[in-house]
Amino acid sequence: MPGNTGNGNMMMNKIKVYRAMHDLTQENLASAIGVTRQTILAIEKGKYVPSLDLAFKIARHFRVNIEEVFMYDEGRPTQNTLGSK
Amino acid sequence: MKKNTFYLFTGCIAITLLAIFWYSVEIHNSLVSVVAFIAGIAAIYSARLKVTDLIEDERSAKITEKAALRTLQVFWVVFCAFSIGAVTERLYVPAFPRPYPPVHPPAILPPRMMGYIQLGLLCLIIFLYVGFRIYYARKYGEWEHDDE
Repeated sequence: MPGNTGNGNMMMNKIKVYRAMHDLTQENLASAIGVTRQTILAIEKGKYVPSLDLAFKIARHFRVNIEEVFMYDEGRPTQNTLGSK
Repeated sequence: MKKNTFYLFTGCIAITLLAIFWYSVEIHNSLVSVVAFIAGIAAIYSARLKVTDLIEDERSAKITEKAALRTLQVFWVVFCAFSIGAVTERLYVPAFPRPYPPVHPPAILPPRMMGYIQLGLLCLIIFLYVGFRIYYARKYGEWEHDDE
């Protein structure tokens, strides 16, 4: 799901796909990286754009590069998320 | 300390503060309520640091931050507008000589009412903050549901 980065661009992610590949629930992933399940859900649904720190933690957890989990898509208008003003 | 214990503790502090406030009004001693208020809030803050099962991550911190900022932005304007209006009624500045006698309209707010209204506004800040918190929490997926 896409999330607004605040300048009209989109941050897409494949967390749900990677979770399925690793057979992880949102709760498992959340506790592994020290956030709440709601945060994982919000990121997956594009309601919240994670910080760079959290994005790296998620990518490291799946043992992939950050670009494989998070994609920056320029020029797509979106809904508001926490990454925005 | 568990989260529920903390909420219970906060409730107890609030009731105690109310009782102390009542007592200080009864004995006409404002210092008692002022000291008790500061001590009570300090106790709540220090107890909050000891809560173990309260997970705060960057999203919840951001929601808190945004709600607090918006509350402050609204509150300071309302509070300042009211305070400026109230103080203006009581200020005297040297006036230029005029051919007619100065007109002093009756004060809208008696001084005691100013204090009450300011206290009321300070209490309203809590509701304002809760409102903004609910708004941002809802906006940023706090109560989203998933199929899992």
